[in-house]
Amino acid sequence: MSVAPADVEPQVQAVGRRLAADVQRAIRTPRARAERLGMRVLMDDPALRAALFRFVDVRPACATREDLVAHLAELLEEAHAGGSTLAARGARALGHRGTTRGAAAIASAAVDAMAHRFILGEDVDIAVPAVTAMWEAGTASTVDLLGEATVTEAQAERYAERCAQALRAIATAAGPPGWTANPLLEADAAGPVARANLSVKVSALTPHLRALAPDRGADGARDRLRELLRLARDLDAHLHVDMESFDTRESVVRLFCEMLAEPEFADGPSAGIVLQAYLVDAPRHLEELLAFVAAHPRGVPLTVRLVKGAYWDHEIVEAAHHGWAAPVFTDRHECDRCYEALTRRLLGSFPLVRTAVASHNLRSIARAIAVADELGLAARDVEFQVLRGLGDATGAALARDGRRVRVYAPIGDLVAGMAYLVRRLLENTSNDSFLAAQSAGADPATLLEAP
Amino acid sequence: MSPTGSSRPTTLGPAATRATAASLDGFRNEPLLELRRPEVRDAALAALARLDARLPVRVPIRIDGEELRGEEFERVDAGEIDRVVTVAQAASARHAAAAIGCAAGRGQREWGARSASERATVLRRAADILHAERLDLAALAVREVAKPWAEADADVCEAIDFLRYYAAGALDLDRGAALAQLPGERNDLRYVPRGVTIVIAPWNFPFAIACGMTSAALATGNPVVVKPAEQSPACADAIVRALHAAGVPVDALALLPGGDDPGKALVADPRGRTIAFTGSVAAGTSIIERAAASDPERRGVVRVLAEMGGKNCVLVDSDADLDDAVPAIVRSAFGFAGQKCSAASRVIVHERVADALEERLAGAIAALRVGPAEDFATDVPPVVDPEAQGRLLAALAAGRASARATHEAPGVPPDGWSVTPTLLGGLPPGHDVVERELFGPVLALEAVTDMDVACEIVDGLPYALTAGLFARSPRTIDAVAARLPVGNLYVNRDTTGARVGHQPFGGTRLSGTGPKAGGPDYLLAFVDARCITENTIRHGLVV
Repeated sequence: MSVAPADVEPQVQAVGRRLAADVQRAIRTPRARAERLGMRVLMDDPALRAALFRFVDVRPACATREDLVAHLAELLEEAHAGGSTLAARGARALGHRGTTRGAAAIASAAVDAMAHRFILGEDVDIAVPAVTAMWEAGTASTVDLLGEATVTEAQAERYAERCAQALRAIATAAGPPGWTANPLLEADAAGPVARANLSVKVSALTPHLRALAPDRGADGARDRLRELLRLARDLDAHLHVDMESFDTRESVVRLFCEMLAEPEFADGPSAGIVLQAYLVDAPRHLEELLAFVAAHPRGVPLTVRLVKGAYWDHEIVEAAHHGWAAPVFTDRHECDRCYEALTRRLLGSFPLVRTAVASHNLRSIARAIAVADELGLAARDVEFQVLRGLGDATGAALARDGRRVRVYAPIGDLVAGMAYLVRRLLENTSNDSFLAAQSAGADPATLLEAP
Repeated sequence: MSPTGSSRPTTLGPAATRATAASLDGFRNEPLLELRRPEVRDAALAALARLDARLPVRVPIRIDGEELRGEEFERVDAGEIDRVVTVAQAASARHAAAAIGCAAGRGQREWGARSASERATVLRRAADILHAERLDLAALAVREVAKPWAEADADVCEAIDFLRYYAAGALDLDRGAALAQLPGERNDLRYVPRGVTIVIAPWNFPFAIACGMTSAALATGNPVVVKPAEQSPACADAIVRALHAAGVPVDALALLPGGDDPGKALVADPRGRTIAFTGSVAAGTSIIERAAASDPERRGVVRVLAEMGGKNCVLVDSDADLDDAVPAIVRSAFGFAGQKCSAASRVIVHERVADALEERLAGAIAALRVGPAEDFATDVPPVVDPEAQGRLLAALAAGRASARATHEAPGVPPDGWSVTPTLLGGLPPGHDVVERELFGPVLALEAVTDMDVACEIVDGLPYALTAGLFARSPRTIDAVAARLPVGNLYVNRDTTGARVGHQPFGGTRLSGTGPKAGGPDYLLAFVDARCITENTIRHGLVV
């Protein structure tokens, strides 16, 4: 950009403080306080944290109550060996006769409760009333179907069927008539915004994703994605393609762009993709995407969900194992700066693209609001997305502030949800986590500092 | 001390960083090619085009700096058998005698007289040469042994790792070992070269294993005669040329391409002091026998290091994460068409998850793509030669006839020596496919009542190379680790891909004599230890 952006820092601080105050009020409940305490314990005790995450991870594979307690006891013993005194107490308690039944019940109830905090429900029958209720309360949603890792065609086929079924069910409920009209949630200056919104994963649509052969994965998923796009078009629903690890990025982007360039999708459906700001190459990815959009005009703007990225640990470990430079920023501040630069570039591209600011970081959010104001965008022209269970307070504060909020709401059973759940828990208890810092009561000025 | 008696450190514990930096002397593994980036793949394909333009590669016999001719033999591309990749000269028994004579004489004197640090410098220079040529070398393995890109590149990296790791290790060894000392007495332990080392190398890691055995011998001051596998002379020659170019004297390193003849002659020659072999159990045990036979000409007992086969099992407990287990098992069993000593060939699964695992494995195998090694989209390349193909097809026919269920990959290309990746469920106990090493893309699956039974099965095998375990109970992991005799146990990951300095590799029982390659003990096999004790008292005074 040739023109230096105006200094929006005072506005960022003002918006940020307003939102922070609202979020703080919301998280001053006893339950939130208990959760904060638990999180603090886990953050200070890495061995216990590892044990509990491993327990959450193995929970669905435990067939019997005894099996469950045995795993918990062993993991706590291991954590004790790793230096956790709390784990030692837990392990001793489990060692007492007669505690098995109770311990098993408590442990599995705790995991299930945690799972339900992050996961909407087991299937679409439960999900539909839930997203309906969310809409009526003033929040939009995008539903994501959790599943096993797709290694077979049969699994890919089942996933595609579940996606189609969910799209139909949500679109039917959404109507019209269906849900009550809400101008903020269903239109912006570029036109109508779809009520029904589904997020899909290309990795679940084919067992052929290969990092070394991006075309092979794209070929494998093409027909299933095309069917879903057709269905979304016919139902006036939005289809959002999620992004996963860097290994699959090329396949996903290639396939997505190729599909949207097809004549049959020239006027719909509304579709979106994800931009991961933690990738060092993210600015180039965005320019490529904008060039694609400019070269392939469609009747509906492309939605770009701007995230930091959820596979940071994976990318770092993978790169370290192979001796590669990590594809992601290793410094959180660099990542935050990249996010802000991408935010400006994206918002400046409205209405060619719609931006969904998907972050729980109040600084990043406040910055997006300030920049949107500076660019003269109306509130409804920017969407904010939060994760169910993790960004609830943030989402609520944004909704009260008159913003369009969309909650990313996964559905699936416990087995399928475990990978998702563990990732969310790790995020929540990571020392780098904005949310953890926020709920620990960090000074708003610090939280809102420019990166 | 762990109060639970558990020997397993938690992942977050400090034990994860136990490696002693000093003993590794700054060793770092050569980074793999980042083939997930398109520009890197383009560079690899350009290297392949360069290679194709100059095929066939010509490989002479190399003795004392001379390039000699013998009986000519060819190596063709396993995926496209009209393409001649290598034209090599086969060495005879006469060549073997000449090569050993040269090595035992001038080679030993000259190379053995170099200091450890001079030798380390030469080896590191050779590593740098391989590093500079890495794309071309990987392309050569793609063509000569039909090794897919990622694995061919890992092979080159491992060769580089061995050079650097053993260079560092030999410097360490040169410092001797700490001994107890008393006033008036000085004790000194030093390691000296044993003498001529015969290296008999396999084709499946045509760079890494040939280079590993050779560089260990050279690093410790021994001259080497290399007899590479008949299927991979050009890859071995690339290693030998790099070592010569780096400064290994031509009389201290000879290359004898060919089949059994030069190998047998080398093993029988009384001037050989150490034999480093990697290959089949039959060949390995026969070398051990031959080397142990008394021979009046021999001055000393020959030391044989033999890395042989495996019948590698993967145990899957009822609490395993199948999302992890299925891809890892498929990669371990079918990567490079199962032609790795560490490849998984038998899955032993808890009955509670057996059906689910078999169904997913079957589906994952149905999604495998069999094709040419050069194609980045290929999962499974053809096998190395028509003999291997014939042997595997016969084993598959026998397996299919007795299996409860057979699951195969679709669409195997007709040209080239491909073998259909196959999972055979429920073979009867004792069946050949379940007991014997097949060295191909064949996997057997059986259900058991618990992991104790699985351990008994593994413990009952004559091999003990690698094993895998998928389980999430710490106690089960400890118990299985304590119980299995294998040299390398991999928990909740692939059973292949040992890395130098990280996973010292090698088996016990019929799988190998040890010591483990790429580990701290390996170099000791190439040296003799001498202790010198000096009385330092003069006229009753300690001086």
